[in-house]
Amino acid sequence: MNWLPLTILLLPAVGGALLAGRGWRWPRMLTVIVGPGVVWLSFLAVLYGYFTDVNVDQSYWTWIKVGDFTLPFNLILDHLSLFMCLVITGVGGLIVTYAVGYMGHEDDPSYARFFCYMDVFVFSMLLLVLAGSFVFLIVGWAMVGLSSYLLIGFYYWRHSAVVAARKAFVMNVIGDIGMILGTFVIFFQFHAVTYHAVFAAMPKSDSGTLELAAFLFLVGAVAKSAQLPLHTWLPDAMEGPTPVSALIHAATMVTAGVYLIGRLHPLYDVAPYAHHTVAIIGALSALVAATIAIVQTDIKRVLAYSTMSQIGYMFLAVGVGAYAAAFFHLLSHAFFKALLFMSAGNVIHAMDDEQDMRRFGGLWRQLRGTSISFLIGSLALVGVIPLVGFFSKEFILGAVFSNPDPLSIWLWVVGFGTAILTGFYTGRMWWIAFWGKPSSSRPVAAPQEAPAVMLWPVLVLAALTIFGGALQSKTAIGFGTTLVEDYLRPVVGAIAWPANSLDVLLALATMVLALVAFGWAYLMYVPRVERRAAFLDGVAEVAMASPHPWNSRLPWAQTLLEHKYYFDELYDWAFVRPLDRLARWGDRGDRRVIDGSLAGVAGWVRGGGRELGLLESGYFRSYILVFVGGAVVAGLLVLWRASTT
Amino acid sequence: MFLDAGTLQIAGESLDTGWFLYLAAILFVIGAVGVLVRRNPLVILICIELMLNAVNLTLVTFSRQLQNLDGQLFALMALTVAAAEAVVGLGILVDIFRLREVEDVDELSELRG
Repeated sequence: MNWLPLTILLLPAVGGALLAGRGWRWPRMLTVIVGPGVVWLSFLAVLYGYFTDVNVDQSYWTWIKVGDFTLPFNLILDHLSLFMCLVITGVGGLIVTYAVGYMGHEDDPSYARFFCYMDVFVFSMLLLVLAGSFVFLIVGWAMVGLSSYLLIGFYYWRHSAVVAARKAFVMNVIGDIGMILGTFVIFFQFHAVTYHAVFAAMPKSDSGTLELAAFLFLVGAVAKSAQLPLHTWLPDAMEGPTPVSALIHAATMVTAGVYLIGRLHPLYDVAPYAHHTVAIIGALSALVAATIAIVQTDIKRVLAYSTMSQIGYMFLAVGVGAYAAAFFHLLSHAFFKALLFMSAGNVIHAMDDEQDMRRFGGLWRQLRGTSISFLIGSLALVGVIPLVGFFSKEFILGAVFSNPDPLSIWLWVVGFGTAILTGFYTGRMWWIAFWGKPSSSRPVAAPQEAPAVMLWPVLVLAALTIFGGALQSKTAIGFGTTLVEDYLRPVVGAIAWPANSLDVLLALATMVLALVAFGWAYLMYVPRVERRAAFLDGVAEVAMASPHPWNSRLPWAQTLLEHKYYFDELYDWAFVRPLDRLARWGDRGDRRVIDGSLAGVAGWVRGGGRELGLLESGYFRSYILVFVGGAVVAGLLVLWRASTT
Repeated sequence: MFLDAGTLQIAGESLDTGWFLYLAAILFVIGAVGVLVRRNPLVILICIELMLNAVNLTLVTFSRQLQNLDGQLFALMALTVAAAEAVVGLGILVDIFRLREVEDVDELSELRG
């Protein structure tokens, strides 16, 4: 029996349990060791699995046995889940270590609570990727939703955080329902729920049932990965502490949808409609999120929308069947987005928790280490050679471009346009926050660089972002390595169509255009630093009421984007308010009809009791009189019966 | 005789059973009326004993008439129970008397609706 998958899975659970039980009365030193320590131990176990090339589907015990149906508790540690575990525990370890510094100003119980939640999250995420059956996939799936809820609402005394946590939870539960229904469909079709049994019995051609199952799983993936139309929770989730945003809402949990579709690729390969829908949703989400990111002013929200956009790319890749490209972008995105979030966290930390980037400005000179890290992350997000983002994004775009499906060329156009928009909004974020003169309304005039515990993980991720491209360079520039593709091929298969010779050329063209957009943002935003400062002082309100030059020509577009295409308003109108009304109506019904009838019965009984109580005079003789009278009547009845028979 | 209940033998003489039953009924009614109309708890207890003994008399009477000892045994049983009941009843009365000087059971009327 191979204990490695269980060891990887349970180490963070043990840490979480220890911190939950005793953490709040431990000295802080012990919390700091246990919290990140268990994640690193788990990472070491994963590394051991990587170097010994473990590839197992191990059943540990029988969970349910009904008739001829058996559900074992089995964990799969194949190349795909090992790959995911490397990301989760490796990047997760760096982020949890970073949190040691970032959460430093919390008081002791909250400090331990944070690491407890983080360990629980890592455990849930590992369960999600290691699970060998749909049932435990759902368990992990729901538990990451729970951890996400707990961590978004970590600052539970802030109303907005609680509301955001609730929103994320409800949205995720919509996805969970999709997952559960999909599993039911799979069960009815195959009478089994382990991946092994289901994929072995998978037919070669499509059937309506499998399409249904694939669409239902897509609902789960879309909700978890914040894709259209269930994306509205992700920007609000930025209410959580920044390490949470880095780990859960950028690097790992939100990519679970990509993992799901990659894991279930035998299902999607025979369900073409659902498979195409994945690609279309991905492309649209990438585009929509990139446009919204252009007008955001909260630095973490810009990053949140860019996360949604990059996950859109991953969906696009899995949707056309380029699974290796999607997973390489997942890895690359985990590196550079965690880097961006943690650098942003350093900035926010230095700025006394200010998140509005219009109030930063000129950080380049004062926070050199953080600024360089942020620039590396930004350029990786834009997709600049030789950073990892270039290789992964161009891998996806190249695979989509060369795909023979007639739909793919349109998806490529959307992806190409999004890449240029990405250059623009990333440039805007970078120039506004780090370049130019310091904003006059900046909360801290002379910010301090972050402590070493917060800087080192950032630098490690920066190094990974710089050199990560060496893993898989052939697909973007035409020569070099294909390590990721080779590693994942046993699980998700090779890309089924040959690469187009134009790919390399288009990759370079995309990069150049995105860089041009990055530079264009400089022209558009930097000369306005003085105006911006004036605006924030309230002097020249008219000048800064429209801080975006393109907006003077397209005011309706500005409004549309600032309202995020009115998704929140639409959901509010279509679901929240009607349900609220229904709840109020139900509440009235509950109070009047149900409570009313019960109170009526109770009142009737009480009144009857009071009336009957009047018979109890308390006088002994009256009781006796009744008793004797009764006896006399009974006796007379007996006599009467005796005399008549 | 209103009641033709047969005869029974005492010391070789034959007597109508009815007499005994009339006596028992009269004793029972006296006891019952006593329980109803008297207020003194001790007297009420005595009246209850009277009713019990009236019933015992009918039991013994029929036992004699039917030449069957079950009735006598039952009467002995009733006497025993009556003794125990008198003990408990008197005990309760003494206890109540210690708490409050009760001469009239009507004063013990707190348990009312």
